[in-house]
Amino acid sequence: MSEPAGNAKRKNSNNQELLKEDNGIVFDLEIEKLLDLVQKPARYMGGELNSIQRDFEHTSFRYCFGFPDVYEVGMSHVGSRILYDIINKRPDTLCERVFMPWVDMADLMRERKIPLFSLETRHPVRDFDILGITLQYEMSYTNILEILDLSGIPIHSEDRTWADPIIIAGGPCAFNPEPLHHFIDAFSLGDGEVSTLETIEVVERCKKEGKSRTECLYELSQLNGVYVPSLYEASYHNDGTLADFRPLRAGVPETIRKNMVADLDAAEYPENVIVPYMEIVHDRINIEVLRGCTRGCRFCQAGMIYRPVRERSMQHILDLAQKLVDNTGYEEITLSSLSTGDYSCLPQLAHEMMEKFESQRVSLSLPSLRLDSELKATLEETQRVRKTSLTYAMEAGTQRLRDVINKGITEEDLMSSVTDAFAGGWSGIKLYFMFGLPTETTEDLDGIAALAGKVVRQYFATPKEVRARGLRVNCSASCFVPKPFTPFQWEAQNSLEQFKEKQDYLCHIMHIKGVEFNWHTPQVSFLEAVFARGDRRTADVLETAWRNGCRFDGWSDQFRFETWMNAFEACGIDPSFYANRKREKGELFPWSFIDAGVTEEFLWREHELAMQAKVTPDCRRGCHGCGLKRFEGACRS
Amino acid sequence: MRLLIEFQKTERVRHLGLLDMQRTMQRALRRSHLPVQYSKGFNPHMNMSFASALSSGIPGDAEILDVSLAEPVTEEEALHALKEALPPAMPVTRVRLVDDRFKKMGARLEAAAYRFDLHSDPDTAVALLDVLPRFLAEKEIMALRKSKSAERMVDIRPMIFRLEGEISKNGAVLQATVSFTEPATLKPTLLLESLTRYAGLEIPSVFIRRTGLLGRDSSGTLVPLFDMP
Repeated sequence: MSEPAGNAKRKNSNNQELLKEDNGIVFDLEIEKLLDLVQKPARYMGGELNSIQRDFEHTSFRYCFGFPDVYEVGMSHVGSRILYDIINKRPDTLCERVFMPWVDMADLMRERKIPLFSLETRHPVRDFDILGITLQYEMSYTNILEILDLSGIPIHSEDRTWADPIIIAGGPCAFNPEPLHHFIDAFSLGDGEVSTLETIEVVERCKKEGKSRTECLYELSQLNGVYVPSLYEASYHNDGTLADFRPLRAGVPETIRKNMVADLDAAEYPENVIVPYMEIVHDRINIEVLRGCTRGCRFCQAGMIYRPVRERSMQHILDLAQKLVDNTGYEEITLSSLSTGDYSCLPQLAHEMMEKFESQRVSLSLPSLRLDSELKATLEETQRVRKTSLTYAMEAGTQRLRDVINKGITEEDLMSSVTDAFAGGWSGIKLYFMFGLPTETTEDLDGIAALAGKVVRQYFATPKEVRARGLRVNCSASCFVPKPFTPFQWEAQNSLEQFKEKQDYLCHIMHIKGVEFNWHTPQVSFLEAVFARGDRRTADVLETAWRNGCRFDGWSDQFRFETWMNAFEACGIDPSFYANRKREKGELFPWSFIDAGVTEEFLWREHELAMQAKVTPDCRRGCHGCGLKRFEGACRS
Repeated sequence: MRLLIEFQKTERVRHLGLLDMQRTMQRALRRSHLPVQYSKGFNPHMNMSFASALSSGIPGDAEILDVSLAEPVTEEEALHALKEALPPAMPVTRVRLVDDRFKKMGARLEAAAYRFDLHSDPDTAVALLDVLPRFLAEKEIMALRKSKSAERMVDIRPMIFRLEGEISKNGAVLQATVSFTEPATLKPTLLLESLTRYAGLEIPSVFIRRTGLLGRDSSGTLVPLFDMP
């Protein structure tokens, strides 16, 4: 690693190198020169419609929101936009954004000693009071180290001073925070709408009162849902499993319970969102209609940690939609959630939205639509505007295996839905599967090809006059990664050899006319499995891999598996201990100190039912005692 | 009825390419609620065009968007709506209503004006300015023009209508007006390359901005495109 960029001094405002100062935005010539040299400079430009441009010097609290991936990925994340809005509404507070610069930009910044800067006012990230980082996927972890280093912030928590921001991380991956324990000052678990403001209050007060950074971290640990890793200690058995995990100081909680917003209608939702100039991944209005999912798919971490289900009212959604259309000029609205098809009045909502927005030339798209929902009526609604391809997450090839993973979808559901779709003029179908699931056999892999083949045959069985031309069945199979807080948290991931063998087999049987088969590299899934269930010792591997050049591991052109394997070896850590080991009942997990809502008893019960291929119905039809009832006012079913 | 919109592409957003500009303008027009005319057909789109596409990396002081309207509005209404709707980094400066038969702005374009902010040591700046009169006195200046399909040597001298310069605190500032028609367009970078090569200098670090778009009036004089009769 070359010299950290943050050691460089930024040109100050009376330096002659400044181009001009306008609205508090500093047009630093050095930055301008950089932008002429990199790919997609619009990523670093800022100044978008509805971005918040405040006077940095005269605002008392400054929060920088960091997304550890490129602009067009990060700007597509709804949670970040919610928090950006909430923080900027706080009096005398500003929130600015920073994204991971692409490799060309990162290298140039290091070479020219230009510290990482925020998009809004181009102030160095290091000058903010808090740097909040969202953890959306494990393969973005090296980018976090890269962001810290490019900002000139020491990567280890204990080396930081008040000259550095407090580094707070949240998001789904914070539910197993341990691989990042050395780099993050505090983790915030669960819904961020309320807790983010609480963390700001604590940091602001501690700074005002002249408290030490250590004292500030202790005070943060007193907030519900906040985990400060430096206040805990872990010890291990000889076999490598966790022996003990305890607070180092009196008053620090032994268990951290996630934060939860009980009423989504009462929670803030942005009515005015940033409209990027460059095209981003999800370039449209995105309205979260519900949070949580009651389906209980046993592989799905989001379905477990975002419980319980909370809906936004239809009136609220319609109001938000109109305001967002007026404020952004977007021509498309997405209703998003883990399972939008489960929104209790979706057909009515879809209908009303169509009525309202068709004349305004705004279209509606419904992603992750469940095929067992009231699909047909909704299909007819969306058809009036545009025929995008339909996605079916089947996840497994046979009914037996779908019962194991509790994916409540049958072959009949799929076939009746695609029959309607083909007759309604759709010709693009996407099918998602996983392989390497617990109890999987060759028969289950054969089932994937059988389903894809059936979909193709149904298309050709649809009369030529009715069906649209150009059948596209896109079938993708990803490697199963066992995640914490799921009934499969005890399960071993398939070895790389097993994955390779199954993948070869799938490629062979998926030679079906009309079907395009896609797969992911098992190496990435293997690493994801290591860090998903990693403990404190994996932090050293992360750091070593990053020091040896790993970053953007989720991007196939940047992924360096060799470097990763060398890092494990250098640290004396066996990755298969984390990825490929079956855990016993009762093992203390690195994440056991977190109360994510669902209890371990519930998860184990679900694990046992999975092994017997027994399904658990949607809990709206009866409570299965997952543990959420312990949260006051949370669970309405 | 058509609406001509003169706007700025400020430094902040100079890296926007044509597609980004189109998307941004479409969204701004939607927010403005102006009665923009849409094309007929399965995938209707707004009837609008830029007088000239401005390259990514270059800001513009007086860019022009030409929009067809489905219903009449007043210039005051349009200006007010656009002031509200355009991003602060792309402010509207003037609007003008013209008849549907008014010749398209793009088709009237004859020349463009540029400003070059050169960042260099004083000696280089002086050397470059010294050579200007001699450069302009040349009968022929051959330069390699690259297009998508081919590269060929062309005489750029007839395409230079004006070129002057002065010393600035960062180096030098050049102001140029160059030909901008289908058969004869001189890119600002090619002009600067030719000049510096002529002076026997390296191309210094530079910021280029387009300061105006020009057409010719009936007497053949260059006038701002936006004000053409």
